[in-house]
Amino acid sequence: MPMGHTATAGAGSGGLTATEHRLANGLRVVLSEDHLTPVAAVCLWYDVGSRHEAEGRTGLAHLFEHLMFQGSQQVHGNGHFELVQGAGGSLNGTTSFERTNYFETMPTHQLELALWLEADRMGSLLAALDDKSMENQREVVKNERRQRYDNVPYGTAFERLTALAYPEGHPYHHTPIGSMADLDAATLEDARNFFRTYYAPNNAVLSVVGDIDPERTLAWIEKYFGSIPGHDGKPAPRDGGLPDVIGGQLREVVVEDVPARALMAAYRLPEDGTRACDAADLALTVLGGGESSRLHNRLVRRDRTAVAAGFGLLRLAGAPSLGWLDVKTSGGVEVPDVETAVDEELARFAAEGPTAEEMERAQAQLEREWLDRLGTVAGRADELCRFAVLFGDPQLALTAVDRVLSVTAEEVREVAAARLRPDNRAVLVYEPVATEDSADGDDEEGADQ
Amino acid sequence: MTDAAESLTSMEFHPQPQPGAARPWAFPAPERGALDNGLTVLRCHRPGQQVVAVEIFLDAPLDAEPEGLDGVATIMARALSEGTIERGAEEFAAELERCGATLDAHADHPGVRVSLEVPVSRLRKALGLVAEALVSPAFDADEVKRLVANRLDEIPHEAANPGRRAAKQLYKELFPAATRISRPRQGTKETVEAIDAAAVRAFYDAHVRPASATAVVVGDLAGVDLDAILAETLGGWTGKPAAPRPMEPLTADDTGRVVIVDRPGAVQTQLLIGRIGPDRHDAVWAAQVLGVYCLGGTLTSRLDAVLREEKGYTYGVRAFGQVLRSDGEGHGASMLAISGSVDTPNTGPALEDLWQVLRTLAEGGLTDAERDVAVQNLVGVAPLKYETAASVAATLSDQVEQHLPDDYQGRLYARLAETGTVEATAAVVSAFPVDRLVTVLVGDASQIEEPVRALGIGDVTVVS
Repeated sequence: MPMGHTATAGAGSGGLTATEHRLANGLRVVLSEDHLTPVAAVCLWYDVGSRHEAEGRTGLAHLFEHLMFQGSQQVHGNGHFELVQGAGGSLNGTTSFERTNYFETMPTHQLELALWLEADRMGSLLAALDDKSMENQREVVKNERRQRYDNVPYGTAFERLTALAYPEGHPYHHTPIGSMADLDAATLEDARNFFRTYYAPNNAVLSVVGDIDPERTLAWIEKYFGSIPGHDGKPAPRDGGLPDVIGGQLREVVVEDVPARALMAAYRLPEDGTRACDAADLALTVLGGGESSRLHNRLVRRDRTAVAAGFGLLRLAGAPSLGWLDVKTSGGVEVPDVETAVDEELARFAAEGPTAEEMERAQAQLEREWLDRLGTVAGRADELCRFAVLFGDPQLALTAVDRVLSVTAEEVREVAAARLRPDNRAVLVYEPVATEDSADGDDEEGADQ
Repeated sequence: MTDAAESLTSMEFHPQPQPGAARPWAFPAPERGALDNGLTVLRCHRPGQQVVAVEIFLDAPLDAEPEGLDGVATIMARALSEGTIERGAEEFAAELERCGATLDAHADHPGVRVSLEVPVSRLRKALGLVAEALVSPAFDADEVKRLVANRLDEIPHEAANPGRRAAKQLYKELFPAATRISRPRQGTKETVEAIDAAAVRAFYDAHVRPASATAVVVGDLAGVDLDAILAETLGGWTGKPAAPRPMEPLTADDTGRVVIVDRPGAVQTQLLIGRIGPDRHDAVWAAQVLGVYCLGGTLTSRLDAVLREEKGYTYGVRAFGQVLRSDGEGHGASMLAISGSVDTPNTGPALEDLWQVLRTLAEGGLTDAERDVAVQNLVGVAPLKYETAASVAATLSDQVEQHLPDDYQGRLYARLAETGTVEATAAVVSAFPVDRLVTVLVGDASQIEEPVRALGIGDVTVVS
């Protein structure tokens, strides 16, 4: 194959196809065949996330996701995990701002079991949900919060920056993990109401991808899910719309027991699903993705003022996306030194735009990420659900990379000039607490645990 | 309660479906060969895997690092991608990323692993760059100085991470102080400060050569002339023949004891409870994998059934066996450990329950049902686990560095299926004897020391 601009012929879909179906109760179904490996992925997206939570009940969507693994009418206690793992499958669920997903990857001959399990909890969770599992999972989730956020350095940065970037009362002001106080306050009745409101077939998309017979799979889906009643009890989420730019810099300084100073920032960016969001993705990749990015070259290689410097993109469909800057300073370097350098690089980029070679690199990196994502049946199932739930069309998943590759350098420059500006960001600065002898943090083990 | 009735009447229930006939699947068998320069090559065609994975194992173990230069293997590994005779560091990184490639080089006890992932259409170009890095690395003095400074900056970040801090302490406790494995893989402040470009070059000259290296290439190789690509890339690498490299047997002091690493104000205690055990060459390995899974492989295993799903003390506790180093001569070992974090006030009760789980297991053994589910999961999940080229390449490369035959993983699945409940019980009970476990707790000593002492699970010391 000649060295072209894209890595594969028809890079986006790579020959992949998907078909769409809808049951009478409103459940949308997406099927995609691929017989290379004897596995099938089941993915179910419910159109509910932390943005749907009410004040005083932050964390409820995620706590509820845990309760979905505590049994239903025909599945005892931990039976969901036991049956899937005992069938040679793997499974999990996750909760974000905009959705809750549940997924099983199964050996082909066990696919029907996963469908039966998902249908059982979609239709009958409340038959099993009780105080005991509520109290137990409340403690598990509080320990999840401690482990992932409260007990690690910089662990609450995401929560703090989100709270800065989206104003008080905005549906994205709080993160999916929720607050300890709200987790404590959630009641069994809250969980039941949450289920009754959001867990309906017409508020979900089911995708099945892999070594499947589409007709047979659809028949199973009709058999297990078809009798679950749909309803229209779901209230519309609060509007997440905001002006394109913040209009001033928001700033918080945290003095904490952290190993080094840090400069973090969240820039308000175009919403997911737009061409401008893809352009922003490319801009952030050129500026702060990988080891050849402008910020890495400037701060880590040349100025040597940072241990690590990079940008990430949090794509959001129902509110502005966030461009995520994270710089950990080197030795005794002060935050204003790195901040000045970052601003210089962003301003230069906004003026000049990416070079042709930078565009080629950024597009090659994003293309490879897409190949990775679509290279497994589980990744493909998740993307099909994502585009179906957030943008109404699963086929868009198969052409996403083509859209990224069609963005021009000028579009990248434009979005950078419009959005990557000091007056369009929330800034979080970490300053270590002063201690007598912490300067020489001792050596550390590189155990891969 | 109306909910149950409500849902019972509104949905039609069906009995649990039974599985169809399984489609056969086998762990892929690689084709083994060698280039004229002595480089061993394992290749494996995986249809549909457009992102190719290349793993190159270099026989440059950490115990070959000169005295006082712990971390030189790490700096050398990182310096491989920081410029060559042909091009500088920034250009090298840019060219790689232009291929849509990722390149990672990592030094561990058995040696250095260089891992490349790249879309197959750009394999030739990316492998050319990797070959350039291996054949003619620049090891520029200023770049090495930068890498050393960067590594020094990382050390306090690792010390602040409870999991990394616990691992560091456990290795220090278990292994004799004079052995390399007792000390941090990537060096200490003192040793890293002593590393310069000359030291990196000397380590490279002494240990990096094609004759003792193995390249594993996995992906959709249809339509790829891999022999031609290898010949014009890694084929140009030259070096002295390889000398055999005997390893010292790994030994450890697993006298039951507790070490608390004080982290004032910590809201959770990080647990790491371990000792060493046999490596994969030992006939017990399959039974141990099975037994350890039943103890702590997932959230329905014995540990989480109590600590998470009954008591809510933790987000999850896992038991595992991880090979540290292996030579096929019986000198190798694996780390056998239980790890997780529990909330500070429940640290004592959680450890008490954990010990009770181990005692109950030793007294009553595993059930046949537990064993069956474990086998079905461990064997059944293989086609999922090895869907990507990278996962296949990583396992093949693990086999290479542990001196295992190429068909090891495939045979392990067969062994697992044959292993009975009694064997699995014996293996896991001897892997985790309650009086031979070193317990490291990273947490708030002022709150956890007394409750932990009261458990009587060994002498307790507190370090900072």
